[in-house]
Amino acid sequence: MRLRRGTLWLGGLIVIVLALPLIVTSHFAIDIFIRVLLFAFIGVAWNLMGGYAKQLSLGHAAYFGLGAYTSTILLIRFDVSPWIGMLAGGIVAMLASLPIGALCFRLRGPYFAISTIATAQVLMLLFLKFRDFAWGAEGTTMPNLGNAPLMMQFDAKSAYYYIALGMLALGLVITYAIERSWMGYYLVAVGEDEDAAEAIGVNAMRIKRQIYMISAFLTGMAGTFYVQYIYFIDPQTAFSFNISVEAALVSIVGGIGTLWGPVVGTVLLEATSALLQSWFGSSHGGVQLTVYSLILITVILWRPSGLLGVFTDAYERVVHAGRAHAREPTLDG
Amino acid sequence: MAEALIIRNISKRFGGLRAVQDLDFSVGEGETVALIGPNGAGKTTSFNLITGFHRPDSGSVLAFGRELVGLRPHDVCTHGLARTFQVARPFGRMTVLANVMTGAFLRSRKPEIARERARETIEFVGLSAKQHTAARDLTTIDQRRLEMARALATNPRLLLLDEVMAGLNPAEIDQAVTLIGKLSKSGLTIVIVEHVMRAIMAVARHIVVLDHGQKIAEGTPRDVVANQDVIRAYLGTGYAHVATPGDGAC
Amino acid sequence: MLVTVAQAVVNGLLIGGIYALVSIGVTLIFGVVKIVNFAQGEFVMIGMYISYFLATYLGIDPLASLIVAMPILFVVGVLLQHFLIRRVLGLGDMPQIFLTFALSLLLINVTLLLFTANYRTVQTSYTETSIHLGEVYVPVAKLIAFVVAMVLSGALWVFLHATDLGKAMRAAAQNPDVAMLMGINPDRVFCVAVGVSLALAGAAGCLLMPFYPAYPLVGQVFVLMAFVAVVFGTLGNVTGALIASLMMGVAESLGVQFVGADSGLIVVFMMLLLTLAFRPSGLFGGWTR
Repeated sequence: MRLRRGTLWLGGLIVIVLALPLIVTSHFAIDIFIRVLLFAFIGVAWNLMGGYAKQLSLGHAAYFGLGAYTSTILLIRFDVSPWIGMLAGGIVAMLASLPIGALCFRLRGPYFAISTIATAQVLMLLFLKFRDFAWGAEGTTMPNLGNAPLMMQFDAKSAYYYIALGMLALGLVITYAIERSWMGYYLVAVGEDEDAAEAIGVNAMRIKRQIYMISAFLTGMAGTFYVQYIYFIDPQTAFSFNISVEAALVSIVGGIGTLWGPVVGTVLLEATSALLQSWFGSSHGGVQLTVYSLILITVILWRPSGLLGVFTDAYERVVHAGRAHAREPTLDG
Repeated sequence: MAEALIIRNISKRFGGLRAVQDLDFSVGEGETVALIGPNGAGKTTSFNLITGFHRPDSGSVLAFGRELVGLRPHDVCTHGLARTFQVARPFGRMTVLANVMTGAFLRSRKPEIARERARETIEFVGLSAKQHTAARDLTTIDQRRLEMARALATNPRLLLLDEVMAGLNPAEIDQAVTLIGKLSKSGLTIVIVEHVMRAIMAVARHIVVLDHGQKIAEGTPRDVVANQDVIRAYLGTGYAHVATPGDGAC
Repeated sequence: MLVTVAQAVVNGLLIGGIYALVSIGVTLIFGVVKIVNFAQGEFVMIGMYISYFLATYLGIDPLASLIVAMPILFVVGVLLQHFLIRRVLGLGDMPQIFLTFALSLLLINVTLLLFTANYRTVQTSYTETSIHLGEVYVPVAKLIAFVVAMVLSGALWVFLHATDLGKAMRAAAQNPDVAMLMGINPDRVFCVAVGVSLALAGAAGCLLMPFYPAYPLVGQVFVLMAFVAVVFGTLGNVTGALIASLMMGVAESLGVQFVGADSGLIVVFMMLLLTLAFRPSGLFGGWTR
């Protein structure tokens, strides 16, 4: 039985990725890997909505923050394990996406994006004010429980790596399953032409709502993980606009509406970010975003559908001597 | 013959413009009805009103016994009405097969079944050779075929075709007419908006004529072609005259 | 009590004039070019920095710097449309949104790198003075800003309705294909639209300088207000944007006065949410279905 080339590549990748923390032990490096895995996961969550259904949200930090605060409140006020908190956070985020979606979906395109930005901002403002319930502007640190796996606290950084890896794998599996099912087709249809989709029986409102819920749930989980990892939460961090931006950016740069796009985009952007940090130090925050924005502008002008197309083109040309397709990857039946 | 579609006095205003006024006609099951009229007569608006893209200000639309007014387009489609658009709207990012499968998913969530149904429909409209071509790479005419296949994949009982023959050459028109004929024979009720007279005469026994949003004539092709109001609407007052049976108007 | 309300209303109207300049710019670009300029606020910021440097190094009053800033930004707008925006037209929402969004990020962060996050202010002879209308006091700097903003808005209205180029712009906004058939060059019209829009943003910046600090993120506050005003006043409707901006200025001001200092933003968001919930097409919106 001849294994397909793609499967071999995938298998190799999985082995490398699983073994990475064992080979590379520098804390700095593992931290970068964790960031890559986490933001790739957030990107995958965003991509379900923004890449397939073309509902471009710039306010996903809302769900990130809601997830983060839910698990933190449950942990500190009620001694609930963050593992459960992660699920609870996801559910809270998912439920929040219903009223938010109901309002924001009334606008299309850029105005939808703006209303999502507004939502995340409102949430940040609210949490800045909730002193009694949620520690207000100063935020809080996580109680230090030492090595407490059941409470999602680990001495070994590699543990966080594997959790993030697991989350990313989950996100990818969900995306893959959706892509191949009726839902995947419906999402792309709505993203391409909502009215034409309606005309063939697609309930556009319902599918947008459904994918928003899934996307919000996953993003909420990411929020829990992040605050557990950095042992700290405050409104500026949890509802940070930068998170919303990066969630969208990695997919756009990497390959909007594709399975691996967000992963490619995250690797590229985080690698750039790490390089910038080592050259300029973290005092020049403006440098990172300047470079990100230049990368984004370049991608938009040159390859609007993302760089994954460039890589698959290169692969085609080198391996199969195939034609270049300078556009969005086509979805076949 | 049971009525597939009953349109009762529907009207629609857009701001100051009365797009459709008191439109009233019926379509029997299995019939093919042509909706004709000069540009701007309200034909596409009527389609939009029937399929739920706009809501009529008044009147009712009964399809197979069910009131459609107030339903969203996807519900109208679920109920058995499929339509094509005047300018084809394919899902460019998907292949022909994927496009049609999206339509087929209305009746079955299983990809294998949807794929099978899609393949049959693609075969029927003659696009099998191009089923893996991206929709955005198709010619306009093939995009129209795709549009029809996608609509057919939803297993409709009534098909609304909006100017599918615009810009086709005579050979292509014949192909389209044959296709429509086959659909009609299989029992499908069809309402077709068209300008190409030849095609209309070939497929429809029942014609409804619109002008300025109102129905000005209805009947067999013969009746309609001799009708003074119809002639006036299309050609202006100067051409109205008394037609005699030997006129050869058909 | 009445005085407090009157004061709040006056304050709100005055700042509303500035919001109007920004939101008219946004709605003009949206109406004509059909894209949303996420970077509009950054051009206000650029106007402020131009004004700041002219005042600090050449002693030029911010009001006079209008004469410098507006033409500069007009040219920037033409270049922006011709070289960047034109390349993404017709490609769908995503490239359009993210191009201007990336531009916004770029401008903010380059400014941050070049000039740091420090607040820059300008003191003029009239920065601290006010005139009194009964018991209400009207800060002179804000009053001048309001008056100039209204004059510019009026000038724009005249331009759109009484000049050939302006009418061509409205034609292109309503029906680009027909406009093209009638010999109107869309790119030329778009360039003018973007140029005018950015010039208005720059003007807003200059007018703000006497009483507001310049810093890299300053545009973000104004652009958010502008977007809400544009939605509230109906997308593409210049008069709507003006009226909506004034209303929002007053709403924000009343909120700050009676609810609390931070509430301005919340009041504005409430307006957005209410609009979305009950009348998504805005004050002047037509039929949607």
